[in-house]
Amino acid sequence: MALFGSSSSAAPATSSPEQQEIKTAIVKQLQAEAAMANARQLIGKVNEHCFDHCVPSPGSTMTPGESSCLSSCMEKYISLWNVTSKAYLSRASAERKNNGIDTIAMNSLATGGPAPQSSL
Amino acid sequence: MDQTLDISKLSEADKKELTQFLQNESQKSAIQQNVHHIADTCWKKCITSNISSGRLDKTEEACASNCVDRWMDTNLAVLKHLETLQRQ
Repeated sequence: MALFGSSSSAAPATSSPEQQEIKTAIVKQLQAEAAMANARQLIGKVNEHCFDHCVPSPGSTMTPGESSCLSSCMEKYISLWNVTSKAYLSRASAERKNNGIDTIAMNSLATGGPAPQSSL
Repeated sequence: MDQTLDISKLSEADKKELTQFLQNESQKSAIQQNVHHIADTCWKKCITSNISSGRLDKTEEACASNCVDRWMDTNLAVLKHLETLQRQ
């Protein structure tokens, strides 16, 4: 997420060890929850699309063909996700730079995603 | 988490730092949500033949990349047109 800089800023002048600990714990917990939510979304989509694609008519057992299709499909979906992410970030950054448009907030209207708290 | 996280114990500077962190995370999560949605749409449009490899072939990759750009064009066009409708 190089586009928006690193998420941790410079440490403030003075914080007691206890304060530091609380802060670190909050940050860690939020990051873990965000990563989990992201993974859950991805798993859900992979499951949906690959089941659709690889198991068109469910039989009494999973065939070897279906299994190998699922493995390829999974990898392909993740590749597609990565290509999408890269293309999306580069376009969003270009729109911001050239036209001053915050496309991320606008896109959220169409994707049903959370509206970002503010543009940074 | 070991103990309850008492935010009231934090200094103003810490709170400010956390607020900044939250804004970044919120932005990141909005981006990820948008990417999930677009990848879902572009998968349907670009992956139409039998899947024989885990890698994207050249056509699929080009399709995905175009798909993102055209999706963005569409989103901008829809919002722009909506604006003109509102003014009427």
